[in-house]
Amino acid sequence: MAMAALRREGRRFAPLISPHPMAAIRSSIVPAEEQAPLGVRSISTQIVRNRMKSVKNIQKITKAMKMVAASKLRAIQAKAENSRGLWQPFTALLGDTPSVQVKKDVIVTISSDKGLCGGINSTSVKISKALNKLNSGPDKETKYVILGEKAKAQLIRDSKKDIVLVLTELQKNPLNYTQVSVLADDILKNVEFDALRIIFNKFQSVVAFLPTVSTVLSPEIVEREAESGGKLGELDSYEIEGGETKSEILQNLAEFQFSCVMFNAVLENACSEQGARMSAMDSSSRNAGEMLDRLTLTYNRTRQASITTELIEIISGASALEG
Amino acid sequence: MLRRATALLTRPVISLRARPFSTDVSETPVADTSFYDAWKKVIPTLEPPHTPLTFMKPRPPTPSSIPTKLTVNFVLPYNSELAAKEVDMVIIPASTGHMGVLPGHVATIAELKPGVLSVHEGTDVTKYFVSSGFAFIHANSYADIIAVEAVPLDRVDASLVQKGLAEFTQKLSSASTDLEKAEAQIGVDVHSALNAALTG
Amino acid sequence: MASNAAVPFWRAAGMTYITYSNICANLVRNCLKEPYKTEAISRERVHFAVSKWTDGKPETPTIRTDTPNV
Repeated sequence: MAMAALRREGRRFAPLISPHPMAAIRSSIVPAEEQAPLGVRSISTQIVRNRMKSVKNIQKITKAMKMVAASKLRAIQAKAENSRGLWQPFTALLGDTPSVQVKKDVIVTISSDKGLCGGINSTSVKISKALNKLNSGPDKETKYVILGEKAKAQLIRDSKKDIVLVLTELQKNPLNYTQVSVLADDILKNVEFDALRIIFNKFQSVVAFLPTVSTVLSPEIVEREAESGGKLGELDSYEIEGGETKSEILQNLAEFQFSCVMFNAVLENACSEQGARMSAMDSSSRNAGEMLDRLTLTYNRTRQASITTELIEIISGASALEG
Repeated sequence: MLRRATALLTRPVISLRARPFSTDVSETPVADTSFYDAWKKVIPTLEPPHTPLTFMKPRPPTPSSIPTKLTVNFVLPYNSELAAKEVDMVIIPASTGHMGVLPGHVATIAELKPGVLSVHEGTDVTKYFVSSGFAFIHANSYADIIAVEAVPLDRVDASLVQKGLAEFTQKLSSASTDLEKAEAQIGVDVHSALNAALTG
Repeated sequence: MASNAAVPFWRAAGMTYITYSNICANLVRNCLKEPYKTEAISRERVHFAVSKWTDGKPETPTIRTDTPNV
């Protein structure tokens, strides 16, 4: 087998084995240090070495990014868990009515500013577009409010005229309720809506992110649904304490609900982002490791082949001299 | 395959009687299935997103007799102070005045004003100063209190309260625009409530 | 249904409930004793950039920083 290999290598380098062995030796050394391969030679070791160096760097970087994402996830996961109690009372009181049909829909898509986080942003955008299609109809309009650069980049392509508000640079400071409520306030002041549908990725575990849609109805629609019975029919049985009229309390309630739901949604999405980034970087460093293994094998093969070639040339040159 | 997945999603909702409201069992699941059905019809290729209802533990229905304890959930944005804690009574600072809530209280939605919230459990009384928020009391003796900011009274600095009160009273008299007047008025309200809480 | 009752003074002045509750919360935070006060204030910092779009064209974004009371 070794002889076959030698014969193979010999055949490959045959054109270069010239009657002048010295020239052959010199010519065999030189290409090994050149960048571009000559003719029938396989990839020279230099190229392989460069590629190995860059793949190793990539592996280090992605591993570091994974560690960073893991530590950020730990910090923000605690906050997200603490905020989960915030939206539950609202769902307990007002129920969850994603199928309510309204005239003015506003879809709030939450995404990340930075990339390299797997497919969560595309999932959110796909669901937003699907929801848009679901709620479209005669004299109904749907508008987008976008949080985060990534969704903006994707939605600009086909839904440019439906975008109303774009909010970015959210994660400069650690996320807190005041920030999100100011954001929510801006949305309320700038957008008219009958129903707000907030789309985000709920963080279930480090490998599972569930796209979720939370619906917040405007006070008028809440009243309409309460009067028509159905899901919100119970609302009338609640006494109103404080404030002058029920509609005033309902309005305050709707605003507060939006702010709380947004807060939880933004936190969950941030957790999902870090989790997705962790797994993306993890698979990336694993791939880099595999690539490195393959390249090492190629490198060794190339190296051994060139050594074999040199040996053949020397030996054949020496035997030519003797014989 | 997708249809079965969504059917699996909706089935537990129906069978668990996952009702947020205290009475009438069949309403909410219908809402969910109509959303899923509508979704499947229009977008058969994509799995429908989840809704908050699927993540919530169902609340118990209204019991026929008044329960002995009130179950209180007191949440802040950054923390759940009390989660499903069983207490005897809570006194909430509703905007119409302090309101005592006992088990079996009629279902109420109350807007809170800056004031003291006290939780009575046997002989223990824990007091918090609440900045603003809402309180929902359900017919099944569950009380949800959601506040934006709540601090135990011993964390409040009396001197800062006095200073703030004086500052905002002065701002109120010198305010010109509606917005400034409103802000100053809020300042006065909050600081006098803090003052009353510390002294009273 | 809209304004047949007296709206609270802050809504008449153009504030939303969110603005009102943020102001209240901030005032309470400012009256806390020392370690809690710095901890609370540093926790609640605001920064984001908002840009309004009309007819598919964005306007220049306005940055809102550290003004939790809008």
